[in-house]
Amino acid sequence: MRIYCIITACCLFVCAVTSGQVSVTGTVSSYATGSPLTGATVQYETKNTLTDDQGNFRIAVHKDSFTLKLSFSGYTTWKKTYRAPYPKHIDILLEPRTALLSEVTVSTGYQKLPKERATGSFTTIGEQLFNQQVTTNVMDRLEAIANGYSVYRGQNGQQRNMVRGMSTIKGMTDPLVIVDNFPYEGDLANINPNMVESITILKDAAAASIWGTRAGNGVIVITTKKGGFNKPLQIDFSANLTTTAKPDLFYQKPISSSDFIDVEELLYKKGYYNYWINSADRPALTPVIELLIQKENGAITTDDYQQKTAALRKIDVRNEFAKYVYCKAFNQQYFLNLSGGGFQHSWIFSSGIDRNISNLDAKDSRINLRFSHVYKPFKKWTFTTSLLYTLASQTNGRPGYGTVSTASGALYPYARFRDDGGAPISIMKDYRQPYIDSAGGGRLLNWNYYPAEDYLFQHMTATRQDITANLDLGYQIFKTLSAEIKYQYGRQSTDITNIQGLNSYFTKNLVNRFSEIDATGAFVRHIPVGAIMDQSSNVISSHQVRGQLNYHNTWSRHSVSAIAGAEMRDISSDGGNYRLYGFDEDLLTHGSVDYTRPFTSWFGGGPDFIPDPSANRQSSNRFVSLYANAAYTLGNRYSFSASGRKDASNLFGVHANEKWNLLWSSGFSWTLSRERFYHSRLFPLLKLRATYGYSGNVDTRRAAVTTIVYNGVSPYTLLPYARFENFPNPNLRWEKVATLNLGIDFKLKSDILTGSVEYYQKKGADLFGTVPVDYTSVAAFTILKNVASMSASGVDISLSSINMNRAVKWYSDLNINYYQDKVTDYYLSSNDASSFLNGGAQIAGLKGKPVYSIFSYPWAGLDPATGDPRGYVKGAVSKDYTALAGSSVQVTDLQYNGPATPRMIATLGNTVSWKNVSLTFRLMGKFGHYFKKSSINYTSLFAYKMGHADFSNRWQQPGDERTTNIPSMVYPANSSRDRFYTNSEALIDKGDHIRLKYIALSYDWIRSGLPLKRISFHFNVNNIGILWRSNKDRLDPDYFMGSIPEPTSVTIGIKGTF
Amino acid sequence: MSKYIHSVFSATIIIGMILLPLSGCKKFLDKKSDSTLATAHTLEDLQALMDNYGTINSRDILSGEVSADDYYLTENDWMAMPKQGDRRMYTWTSDYLFDDASNDWSNGFSLVYYANTVLEKIGDIKRGKDNAAVWDNVKGQALFIKAKAYLQLAAVFCLAYDSSSSGADLGLPLRNTTDFNEQSVRASLRETYNEITTDLQAAASLLPEQPLHAMRASKAAAHGLLARTYLWMRKYNEALKYADSCLKIKNGILDYSSLSASKTYPLPPFNSEVIYSSMAPPPRPLSIVKAKIVNELYSAYGSNDVRRQLFFRPNPDGSVGFRGSYNGNPALFCGPATDEMLLIHAECSARNEDLITAGKDMDGLLKYRIKGYTGSQFTDKKQALQFILTERRKELLMRGLRWMDVKRLNKEGANISLQRTIGAAKYSLPPNDPRFALPVPEDAIAISGMQQNPR
Repeated sequence: MRIYCIITACCLFVCAVTSGQVSVTGTVSSYATGSPLTGATVQYETKNTLTDDQGNFRIAVHKDSFTLKLSFSGYTTWKKTYRAPYPKHIDILLEPRTALLSEVTVSTGYQKLPKERATGSFTTIGEQLFNQQVTTNVMDRLEAIANGYSVYRGQNGQQRNMVRGMSTIKGMTDPLVIVDNFPYEGDLANINPNMVESITILKDAAAASIWGTRAGNGVIVITTKKGGFNKPLQIDFSANLTTTAKPDLFYQKPISSSDFIDVEELLYKKGYYNYWINSADRPALTPVIELLIQKENGAITTDDYQQKTAALRKIDVRNEFAKYVYCKAFNQQYFLNLSGGGFQHSWIFSSGIDRNISNLDAKDSRINLRFSHVYKPFKKWTFTTSLLYTLASQTNGRPGYGTVSTASGALYPYARFRDDGGAPISIMKDYRQPYIDSAGGGRLLNWNYYPAEDYLFQHMTATRQDITANLDLGYQIFKTLSAEIKYQYGRQSTDITNIQGLNSYFTKNLVNRFSEIDATGAFVRHIPVGAIMDQSSNVISSHQVRGQLNYHNTWSRHSVSAIAGAEMRDISSDGGNYRLYGFDEDLLTHGSVDYTRPFTSWFGGGPDFIPDPSANRQSSNRFVSLYANAAYTLGNRYSFSASGRKDASNLFGVHANEKWNLLWSSGFSWTLSRERFYHSRLFPLLKLRATYGYSGNVDTRRAAVTTIVYNGVSPYTLLPYARFENFPNPNLRWEKVATLNLGIDFKLKSDILTGSVEYYQKKGADLFGTVPVDYTSVAAFTILKNVASMSASGVDISLSSINMNRAVKWYSDLNINYYQDKVTDYYLSSNDASSFLNGGAQIAGLKGKPVYSIFSYPWAGLDPATGDPRGYVKGAVSKDYTALAGSSVQVTDLQYNGPATPRMIATLGNTVSWKNVSLTFRLMGKFGHYFKKSSINYTSLFAYKMGHADFSNRWQQPGDERTTNIPSMVYPANSSRDRFYTNSEALIDKGDHIRLKYIALSYDWIRSGLPLKRISFHFNVNNIGILWRSNKDRLDPDYFMGSIPEPTSVTIGIKGTF
Repeated sequence: MSKYIHSVFSATIIIGMILLPLSGCKKFLDKKSDSTLATAHTLEDLQALMDNYGTINSRDILSGEVSADDYYLTENDWMAMPKQGDRRMYTWTSDYLFDDASNDWSNGFSLVYYANTVLEKIGDIKRGKDNAAVWDNVKGQALFIKAKAYLQLAAVFCLAYDSSSSGADLGLPLRNTTDFNEQSVRASLRETYNEITTDLQAAASLLPEQPLHAMRASKAAAHGLLARTYLWMRKYNEALKYADSCLKIKNGILDYSSLSASKTYPLPPFNSEVIYSSMAPPPRPLSIVKAKIVNELYSAYGSNDVRRQLFFRPNPDGSVGFRGSYNGNPALFCGPATDEMLLIHAECSARNEDLITAGKDMDGLLKYRIKGYTGSQFTDKKQALQFILTERRKELLMRGLRWMDVKRLNKEGANISLQRTIGAAKYSLPPNDPRFALPVPEDAIAISGMQQNPR
């Protein structure tokens, strides 16, 4: 039906209108990048017009000669006089005034507008800046270069991406990502950075609220490269090779092998291991404990024991990992781009191949193909079709440091992976070595785990395919009014096959555990011998359709630009996984198991049922939205803007009248420097902006009624069983964020310094908050409510300067983002100190304090007599750990140290160029935040073998308290004492640091008249390291508590244009 | 002019096409956002919640057993326990016994929440001819689950029931809603036991005699728990009545001599004695390797007693650990079983001076426990009770019953005082000490403002 309508519409309006005058068309592009410039001013005769979003213009000339003048902010003005007969089409290349200035068209995903008319807050990143780093992923490049975009790295590698800090407390902080016109629903790793032409970050309400309930966290709009009309064929290619060093495992500070052996000897003497030694499940001990047992049994002499442990004391498992597990990472990136266009067409074809080998020898590859075509069959019609295809695949690598664990906790620090002859050595992983050496009388599968080779028997492949197809139809109804319909179909499928071969430890262990000697004395296996294959697949498909009317009109001193439209989105996902036991990789046959019956495990009792990970899941989210946006400019000086959007969705359980909510924004800008009374020659440009408005935050996982999830089939009743997913809360609403933005844009004489300073204030209300709940009243410990509100304010400063502009050119750009937030309201059911001592890993939720805060127990030093840590109870020095660290301690008893997220983030880029050589380096600093260091926790050391190198600096004799804060060792460990110390002020440090993020060196070779127009070579170094830090332990505050800093990578690359 | 009309016409069509998708918008939005999600509004949904065996049947409350006197820990094992709360609980410290976020209090009350959800939601489902049996069964199970949780919680966190003081003694906070905004306030012990018996009686009238599986409640199970409840309330006539009606439905007794002692855990799960299967993994102090059965109890099994082999596993130091759970694995079974019913029946009969019935009951049990058992001769009530109570302890150890038995029998004047030794340190818990009611986890008290047990 819809197609019929389109055809009818086409037929009705074939008849184009022609006028009397001579018509001249033209295309304006950037000399630097070749991409079209939107919104450039075209002056001719006495009239002027603007280029459209393809950089095209059309003028009607009446006289025999005319002068064409083109101007665009950031580019040198171009001027030429033409005499009849005129060329039909004129291609104009504008030269950027400085290489650093980004193009000043901003894209919101709904429209493109010249930045000089915008009232809102945008960060634009041009191609050149974007390509100073070489990565596989688009998002990885933004932290160092994008004003207002930050990444917080917390404990154990958790990561939060944010635009202008937090707008939500409990919800996701990730901004919405738009690729060209629509939200991208697939994996962002699908997008090849070489396809990106520019990135716009929408920071305030006027910029972002057109995206409604998804805009609360800010919006990132990725614009891909397009072809141009009347352009000859252009071929661009690039190739990059990157190598990344092995990660520095010695950054982490585990307990030394020698200290650890001392602890094991002590615990053995105390009878600590009797429990494990006597256990029917035969949990693994460590080589030293086995030696101690042998010594006690008389199987080895004391001398043997000393000799053997002396050898173990010299081993550091990190060396084994570095030698046998980690390798240098290697990335290859190739890209080819063809583009061109005729009078009615423009097209682009891109293809990219990425092949990566990670530090853990995992391989992944990505192929991108993209084709986009714009066709203008008639004057008023535009058809755009584009297709993007991505094929990515990944294989498993080796198990990294910290991922190999044993039955009794972490891997012992003196484990060896290979012997001197290179043969693999097994580690004591889950069961006691003397037991598995003889258990089953040879009928069990070899129960050893070889960390150096086990990964060889696992074959995991993940394949991701993504197709994004677009069909746009545009029609110019009047000169001032156009209509467009855009449709996008997206389909991403992910298939993961994980075959754990018969020789893999995972499979051997599971088969053995489900073996038994039955009542008749026969050996029985309940899992067939063979590989175990897990397969999962997931398909996300989306349909998005949008209809929009655009109105642009300029008359005398007035200019109006407005859009209004409606869109529908349907995103559904469908997935499932299943497992096959006894799989034969050659014959593709498999065995069967009985999931319904519990089995006695090899050790008697133990695991009841054979694990059955099968599951299916489907979901579908639907949205309908209406939106409008209008801007009015008076006399090139005053601009007013307003936007509004209503969203409705099928989000489960929400009361119907809450489904629709209006989010609006308004803004004003005043170009002071264009006033007649303005005469400052120092600041040729001065513009003031102010906006205010609302955006929202929807979390599709939240619902307001009781929801349950079916978990599987009960092996007893053979019926499905369920658990709670969500506890009912009829008052649950969407989060709402109000943003005020005030900005000044300025330019100093002859562009020596350009920049902007913006101040913003955000108020988030109705925010979700997880609050501890009386677990007497509900089957949960915490519950989600709209309890919170927060406010944040900040200043974004962006400056570009030309420091030297002679033979040697030197440009700088500086971003400073000052940010602070505080919780203004939060329902705290508990002031229990323990909720606040997570080192910033979880929200604090204390009124008046930052959303992520660092709190600690006040520290009174070590007891000089015993080395016990001491704190304060009611102002008095105390060692009563129940009073110091028990549940009676309130947050008011804690020391507030400061925010966990930086108050100020600054990046400074410097580019020095001479002739064709250019060198850029970029510094990044984070300031004003705190972090918690890890240290020795004796409870974890004894129970889970998790030790810390601080052990060797612990208090051991009176006097040590003058040089150390590390408590003495006590047995049995006192968990309250450990909790007190590891959460005390003694372990809080300042996070301030400055790092050298990257260096990029390039050489450009430009020749006209040759087929190869341009070729450039570049050399980049990424993640170079910290230049300065305020902590004295040489810690990188972006990588603490279990994570390792990203190693330095080096890239060489070539780029060319035919 | 015609051009103008043309354009207006075309614009209308285009706008029409833009707005077309918006009609029928309501239907578009009615699609459920996640097909694995359900709002728990059908009887199947409610039953599925209660079939969640990992929560409903596997989180019984064993802090009482940890505090009781059927086992001991060596000094080494006690010191090697990583959690302080475990060490404190073993030595009857008066506070801070629960280190983990998930503890007996939270486990018990999460069952109450599951049950309350079912009881609230079932009110919205019409009971008709087609679904009456299922409807009754679902509601009966919810009432049963709630009562089971309250009974186990009251045994650990409240003092023994004493009809003279139960109006003033602290009971549990009785939750009758899923609205977590409603504050938890502790009821009296009398109200608590009233609620338990009322719910169980209602459940008994709704539940079927035969459950689909022993993981689900039945009429026999409700009668069984009623018998246990009245026994703990020392209302022996009622206890007798319900043990009797329970045994009328289910009375199989397992012949222990037919079982093989060579299995690691010789007692099979869901055996003929199991009325309702309910258990918990052993708390750390009760792990088979650590918890050593007190010699006073172990030596009470004669050499002909099959249980001596089936129930125990010898340790290298000559002591024994318990392996006789009716779960066939280390998890400790705490549900009602026919052996418990026979023992309640026998005890209450003896207390009623009906020594013949008591003797018959004991014979019915012990002939399947002791090789060559010849029958018991009861001469008087005192001797009969002593015999039955000893056999009760021997048969029902590690079922989460001993703690309440000590409390209740002390109310009867048994004067059982508990003793522990760790190295040189001695700990004791005299009869009727306030510490027989364990402290409610301090964090739950802090959040809710509930009253703590007197310390």
